Amino acid sequence: MSLRHLLAVTRKEILHIFRDRMTLFLVFLAPALLLFIMAYALSVEIQHIPVAVLDYDRSAVSRSFIQQITAGEDLELHSQVNSIHEINNLLMRGEIKAALVIGPSFGRDLQAMRGIPIQIIIDGTEPQSGGFAMEHISRRAEEFINQSLSTQIEAMGGSSNSIRPIDLRVRTWYNPGLEPKVDLVPGLLSIVLGFPALSVALTISHEREHGTLEQLMATPISRPELLLGKMIPYILVGMVNAILLPVIAIMAFDIPFNGSFLLYFMLTCIFIFAVLSMGIIIGVFMPTQPAALALSFLLIFFPGFFLTGIFFPIAAMPEIVRMESLALPGTHYAIITRGTFLTGVGLDVLWPYGVMLFILGWVFVAIAALFFRKKLG
Amino acid sequence: MWKRIARVNALVIKEFIHLRSDWWLPAFMLIGGAMELLLIGWATSRPITNLPMLVLDQDRSPQSRKLIIALENTETFNLDTQVEDMQTIHDRLERGQINAALIIPPDFDQQLTAADGQAALQLLLNGAESMAATNALRATEGLVRELGLGITLKRLGMEADDLSGFDPSLRVWFNEKLSEALYTTPAELGLMLEFTILLFAALTFSREKELGTLESLLVTPFSSLEIIIGKSIPVILVSFADFLILLAMVHFAFEVPIRGSLPLLLLLTLIYMLAVLGIGLVISIISSNQHQAFLLVMIVGFVDLMFTGYAAPVESMPAFLQLVAQVVPSHHWMAILRGIALKGADLSALWPNVLALVILGLVIGTVSLRFVRRALE
Repeated sequence: MSLRHLLAVTRKEILHIFRDRMTLFLVFLAPALLLFIMAYALSVEIQHIPVAVLDYDRSAVSRSFIQQITAGEDLELHSQVNSIHEINNLLMRGEIKAALVIGPSFGRDLQAMRGIPIQIIIDGTEPQSGGFAMEHISRRAEEFINQSLSTQIEAMGGSSNSIRPIDLRVRTWYNPGLEPKVDLVPGLLSIVLGFPALSVALTISHEREHGTLEQLMATPISRPELLLGKMIPYILVGMVNAILLPVIAIMAFDIPFNGSFLLYFMLTCIFIFAVLSMGIIIGVFMPTQPAALALSFLLIFFPGFFLTGIFFPIAAMPEIVRMESLALPGTHYAIITRGTFLTGVGLDVLWPYGVMLFILGWVFVAIAALFFRKKLG
Repeated sequence: MWKRIARVNALVIKEFIHLRSDWWLPAFMLIGGAMELLLIGWATSRPITNLPMLVLDQDRSPQSRKLIIALENTETFNLDTQVEDMQTIHDRLERGQINAALIIPPDFDQQLTAADGQAALQLLLNGAESMAATNALRATEGLVRELGLGITLKRLGMEADDLSGFDPSLRVWFNEKLSEALYTTPAELGLMLEFTILLFAALTFSREKELGTLESLLVTPFSSLEIIIGKSIPVILVSFADFLILLAMVHFAFEVPIRGSLPLLLLLTLIYMLAVLGIGLVISIISSNQHQAFLLVMIVGFVDLMFTGYAAPVESMPAFLQLVAQVVPSHHWMAILRGIALKGADLSALWPNVLALVILGLVIGTVSLRFVRRALE
């Protein structure tokens, strides 16, 4: 391998990117832009969910119950309605996401400790707001009922302990509010850093599509030189983003960073190498750019979202899927971002994942080089 | 007129011949779409199980054993009770090896059997995996509530039925079984359709430009309008076929109902497709190569996705973004898709969304048509 050859390929590739200002802009900023968009969507705090109330009781107790349910920013009282029919209409039109029906004997039943006739109706088609409304209404209802029950039990001579014999004290490490964005935004880094890999795949299949790969092969440049030379500019793109992305996460989305930045940066560079190698395999296998794009989705992005443990815990996956996820660079990188952003652990904990990424990267490069030789040899 | 149709027809046939040699993208959109639907359907329909949890039982009493067995029976956890000290718990939490830890105090049994005691349970959660932590919290809370209720009843000398009416009854409309597949698959379907048209449309001109064949197409006697129509028809045909196949899959494999009028849904889908086609063609004409076009599609597609209510409810966004959502076609189309398929809504309920979609379709359609024609000439 000669450095001169390598740099010649790199220079050619850089010229390609710089020739067109829009390409330059998109290649460099796509990861940051996409992180920003996805992180924003994940960090929107669910609130102001419109709810209708149908109060058949109309007593002082039911009014204070409604007040307690709709206090705060989470739920918004859309309207008080007079019939189930109206609730149906509002749900159908999507104007409310949930409704609360209070039965006619609410106040009396609660006083007599006979149970409480309330019903929560939610829109089962809304991915987020329906479930959220249900959880909030039932939690507040439980609080309200417990309050009123314990005053009555105390009046009967019991103590408030008897109604709550177990006190569950919860302490959440690293993410006290259990906000999804705190771990999902660092997790998304592995997805958006896949975009430089998509670019690598596209430029290699670009050469094949245009028939210029044969010309390049006729030059003294060897195949590994060609592949690595094409990779280098995108390693640089990745490294710039490796610095830019945590800055966005920390500044714009309040994500904590508790570990060592240097460690994060080093391990991220190894991840970039591994994921770019995946891009090289794709570029070498696919004859056209649309085809390369297609395979990138199937190999990098879909599994990246679903199988790397960013959203769904790996422990809950079946054995076979768990084995498969080990072959994805994103799985190891998700542990690295969690470790450096949130738990703040050091190299002593994270080194196995760095080594795994390094091995995966070279395995991918080897596969690409082997196949490349066969295809054009 | 007939001549025109014949000419457009010739163009359409040319495009389909291209597709035959470049079948990757349409094939992927079908396979990829099906795969994505299966993956997400599979991932969201499985209960979260097997989460690693440590239990430090300082009591080792009948009551604490009862609690541990009940925890095991939830099947949410993979319990390890062989811990002796807090240090192990802290170490494993820090290394991300466990999602939760439960500490049972030495006086657990004593407090619970006393007439008026309150036992403190401590739950430590690893917030660095928020989804697993949230599930662990819910499972433990539910269990503690159930155990506590049993003890309360015993203390007050009441029967189990006496307090049974205190849970609010819940009704989930339009999704009685609370199936997650009904939340997610229509949204995924919408996402796939959007990306299919965008990618496909984005390819049309950017590919010809990159290969240098656009000039030769422009010197033919075809008018720019004919070229646009000839290029658009295959995009619409293939994407619509794709949508129909995926809709059938969602309906038969995930039991997503189509309660409203199917012809109305298909008609509105076509209008939506024309609006997205317009956006795709504009991307195609402003990009000088396929690489750029693909990256632009990603950014536009993800921005749109934000406003579909899939990732975050639009009601919770700042007022300005709620306004923006009104001019995003996919925002209205998702409301229509959910409304017709899941709620069985008709025009009387959906007319605001339908009206908005039609207006947007007309505006985006004409503006983009003009823009692309001007660019071609």
